[in-house]
This record gives sequence, C-alpha cells and structure tokens, in this order.
Amino acid sequence: MNDLYIGVDIGSVSINIVGLDDSKDMQFKLYKRNPGSPVEVVKEGLASLNKKLKDRFKIAGVGVTGSGRQLIGYILGADIVKNEITAHATATIEQVPDVRTIFEIGGQDSKLIVINNEIVTDFAMNTVCAAGTGSFLDHQAERLGVEIEEFGDLALQATKDVRIAGRCTVFAESDMISKQQYGFTKPEIINGLCEALVRNYFNNLVRGKELHPRFVFQGGVAANAGIKAAIEKEINDEVIIPDNHDVMGAIGIALLAQEEMREKDEPSSFKGFSITHDNFETSSFICEDCANECEVIRIQANGKTIAMTGDRCGKWASDPRDIDVKDETSA
Amino acid sequence: MKIGIPRSLLFFYYYPFWEELFKELGIKVVVSDQNNERIMNKGVKYSISEICVPMKVYVGQVLDLVEQGVDLVYVPRIVSIQKDVTICPKFLGLPDMIKYSLEGMENRVLTHKIEQESDDISNWKDYQIFLEIFDISKKELKRALKKASEKWQEYRAMHRKGFTSDQLLEDVKRTPDTGDLTIGVLGYVYNVYDKFVNMDLLGKLREMNVNIVTFEMIDDEVIQREVDQFAPRKKMFWEFSNKLLGAGYHFLKSDEIDGVIHVTAFGCGPDSILGPFLDIDSDKYDTPFMTLRIDEQTGESHLLTRVEAFVDLLRLQKTKEARKCEK
Repeated sequence: MNDLYIGVDIGSVSINIVGLDDSKDMQFKLYKRNPGSPVEVVKEGLASLNKKLKDRFKIAGVGVTGSGRQLIGYILGADIVKNEITAHATATIEQVPDVRTIFEIGGQDSKLIVINNEIVTDFAMNTVCAAGTGSFLDHQAERLGVEIEEFGDLALQATKDVRIAGRCTVFAESDMISKQQYGFTKPEIINGLCEALVRNYFNNLVRGKELHPRFVFQGGVAANAGIKAAIEKEINDEVIIPDNHDVMGAIGIALLAQEEMREKDEPSSFKGFSITHDNFETSSFICEDCANECEVIRIQANGKTIAMTGDRCGKWASDPRDIDVKDETSA
Repeated sequence: MKIGIPRSLLFFYYYPFWEELFKELGIKVVVSDQNNERIMNKGVKYSISEICVPMKVYVGQVLDLVEQGVDLVYVPRIVSIQKDVTICPKFLGLPDMIKYSLEGMENRVLTHKIEQESDDISNWKDYQIFLEIFDISKKELKRALKKASEKWQEYRAMHRKGFTSDQLLEDVKRTPDTGDLTIGVLGYVYNVYDKFVNMDLLGKLREMNVNIVTFEMIDDEVIQREVDQFAPRKKMFWEFSNKLLGAGYHFLKSDEIDGVIHVTAFGCGPDSILGPFLDIDSDKYDTPFMTLRIDEQTGESHLLTRVEAFVDLLRLQKTKEARKCEK
C-alpha cells in the first residue's frame, strides 16, 4: 500500500479535492461547484476517491484549506488546516519554482501573491469589492446569455476595443447595456468586460507594486482565455497557467499535509472513510451567557455533537458537547 | 454623583489619568462594559451610517452608561496635546455629537476643552469648569490633577517596559514575551484594543506565539525623530497619526521587528495617507507590511486568513534566513 495525501479546498464557489501520492503525482482530482452544502460534496468526493484508490493507497495525511476550512477540518479530522494564501503559493512554487508573481482570481475573492526565492514576501486580497472576481463574470455571462465556459473564447473574437466601466458591477452593467444598444457585438462587449475586470484587479490589488516575471495565473477564472489575454496586455508579458490551475489550493494543502506528516512522525488523525456514511447535521443556537450573543454553530454526526464553532470566547469550541437548547434553528 | 466613562476612543490611552482624577475628587466612576454585540448594535443604530466604526462604538458605549444610570457622561473635547497639532476633527466635535444627536443627552454630558502642549493633560486651566460643578477649591483641583498625572506617568512607564494597554487595563495575563516572532501592531488605541471590532487580533497573535509591539512602547523622542525626518519642514498629520507615522517608520527600520500590521478602520481619512506611505516604504526596509481593515462585520474568516498567512510568511522568511546564516 502506498501513501496518499488528501487536499480539500472549500471555496465559496467550488469545492476541490485532490489526492497526491508520495512522489506528489496526482491520483485523484475533483472540481465541483459548491451548491451550498459543502459537507455533502466532500462526502461524495471522498467516497469516489475511496472507490477509485482503496486497493492501492492508504491515507497518510489530510489537509483542508479555503474559507470553509474550519468546519470541514473538524469533520475530517484534518492533520493540517491552513489559509488559502499559503496553500496556493505552496502549490505554485512546486510547479513553477522560479515564479515571482501569482495572480489568483477565484469566485468571491482575488489575490495577488508576491514570491521571492520560493518564499511569499507579500500578498494582497480584495477587500470590500467583488468587481475583480469571478462572480462578476458569472453574473454578466448570465445577463448576456452566454455560458461561462465559452465566455473567454468569445472575447478573443473581438475586433474592436470597447471600454466598459469596471469600477463597480452596477456601473459595468449599465455601461454594458448602453454599449449593446449602440450596436457593439457580444464578443466586443465581453472583451471589454474582461479588460474591465483586469483593470479592477490591478487597481485594487496591485496598486502600482512592481511585479516581476515569471507570472502565474490560477484560480477558477484562469480557464477564461479572455482574462488571460487581458492580463498579458496589462503586464506586457507572458503568463503561465499551471496544470490543474483550478485546484491549486487543494494541491497546496495536500503538499503541506505531506510535509506536516513527515515532521510529525505520528499517524494521520483522519477519521476514515466511514464518515462518508455518517449523517451530518448543522444547527445553531444563540448563546445567551454574555452580551455578545454569539451564534454558535454546532455540527452533529449521527445525532452526536462533534464540533462547535462561532463563539467568541471559545468555551463551546474547546469543549463541544450535546446540550438541549431551545429556540434551536436548523441550518 | 456618578460619572460614566465610555470604554472607547482615548479611554485606552487616558483611563488611568481620568480614574485617578475623579477618585481624588471623591467622585464615583463607572466604566461602560467591554464592547460587545449589544453595545455595537446600539451604536450603529444611533449613528449616521457613514461615520467610522470607532465613533459608532463610542455612541453605543455612551448609551450603555446611560442605561447603567450614571448622572453625567464624561466626554472631554480633546483638541490638542501638542502645540499646533490637533486631533482628528471627529474628536473635536464629539461632545456636540453626543449632546445633540442622542435624545436626552443635552444635559447629561460633562465636557470641557483639553488644549495642552503635551500628552500629560494635567494643566489645571482646562479643568476650571470642575471648580463649580464639583464644588471644589483650586487647590483641591490642582492636587487631584497632580496625582492623576503621576498615575498616568506610571502607566506610560509600564508601556515602555513592553506591556500593551490591554495587559495594563484588563485582566490579560502579563506573561513575558516568549514568541519566536515580533510584530509591530500599528493602529489607534481604539482600533488595536477593541477586541470586539478587531476580533481579538492581539489574542490571536499571542496564540500564534507572536510578541506584540505597539506605538505606546516607543519613546517619544524616537517617534519625534522619525516624524521630523519624514517631513522636516512641515507638520504632517493629526496627533495620533503622527505618533503612528513615527512608530511605523521605527518598526520598519528596527531589526527586532519582523513585520508590521496596520489596523485601520474603514473610511479613516488620515490612515488613507499614512498607510500607503508606510506600505510603499516597507519594501525599502525589507519589512513585510500588511493592512488590516476593520468595520462592522463580524465574520472572522477574512481576518484570520490574512493574519495567519502573514504570520506564515514571516516564519518561513525567518527560518530561511536562519538557514542561510548556518551555511
């Protein structure tokens, strides 16, 4: 039996699971749109991983990253739970060792990661604005009646430049409508949108920072040829889109899990594939012990509380237990 | 008579002074509760929406004191604590804002102007209103101010020994710094020490085994020197922005500080100038710099992601440098 390291990335738009073997080769990959029930997606994903690999591999480590990492981390019994910036950078450095700049555009956030000598030296994340992220494109694609998968390639067919106001999705939309009414073609408008998004990304995150090659572009939006072209135009250089650009976070956290296990010299704390048959339920209650009135999230497996989170003081999180609470709301 | 002091804004800088002053005058002081969801919601409800979050917190804290039944809420109009340098204009208008925008507060505010030439705000001339209100003699007032000043100097001396204000004012454990990393946490006291709004940033850093340095620990002379170097001919900012500017440059240059986190409230005017100066210059001194923007939101994940990634970055850099030295 060979060792397998599982990486799970719980993003806002997609959930990604990968399995890497000892020599860091990918044995399993899953990219799935997050329909809002991450636990179910992860259960199904792990079940199919198990089916495919159970004869040849045993699980040697599990890592979880992404904005929903805490909850899934509890459920899986992860060996390592880490933020997505570190995870993304780890995966990219593994594939492109001389990378200096990573553009990462995901569903709900975008990041810029600056690297020097294989170490992250600076990063930026979008703050209050979604105009430079994937959901902006999703929304506009829907409006134009174009499948998001075809969106980027259509942009490349544009023959004329159209400037779409990109500072805010609201302005972009009204600008787009008027440009449509003037008679510009769909490819031209889509191209204008791609450029607007990239302009936004540079205004919000790069903000005049000096960037060095090699440039890597990853995240779900990297599948969009129109955005790639717009970035290359902006930096006047070539960008690399790594293999498996859409699951880089999961790859990175799997690599970190491998590293962690090597140093720890203990068996993995992974709870095993039996969890794919377990019945998980999330509920919440308002803790009224102090004026903070935290909404405490409670996760139950087969009716037994296994984790609690959301409390500011940590008294529930550190000691999850079954309790009778009235006014309980099922989530 | 019971005087209420809101646990907000410059409370974290001047509370030992105010506490001693009123104690010496024989007046009972009530401090509002630690900021929490209920106080915050009240503050948000009774403030104009575009004002910065620290001001909203202050409003909530004032209302909390009123509920606790204090006779007067102490809202000094802090204009200046250094010659020719004033404080953010919102502080200048604070007593009026409280008096006239909150119902029933017009006659429940104890206010007077503080316009002094040093941080030690004990010059009796600004406190003459106390003579009549508390029916005390000039001598009694001066004596109380002297005591308050001494107490406050002790507090400031403890800062310089390396204690943060939350360690001095609250029951935060005063354990010696044992972390392998030191981060300069740069921000106004009301942003750095409001655990509710910043989601216990200091606690999170301590849990990650990080030592914390704040501007209060830096000698005034060092701060002044950095400010003068930055703008030799011109006074740059408002009072506490100057302090942060000086401390910030000191952090960037210091070998003992591995990285700087700038905690800023969304929409802060002075910080929108201060932050980029430090951010851009941080490259020059090879010190990582991160801006952490706080507002009314209560979701922790964005803050945790940034802080964790920043600490990871600093640790990796440090181990790499150590490896280089071994070679």
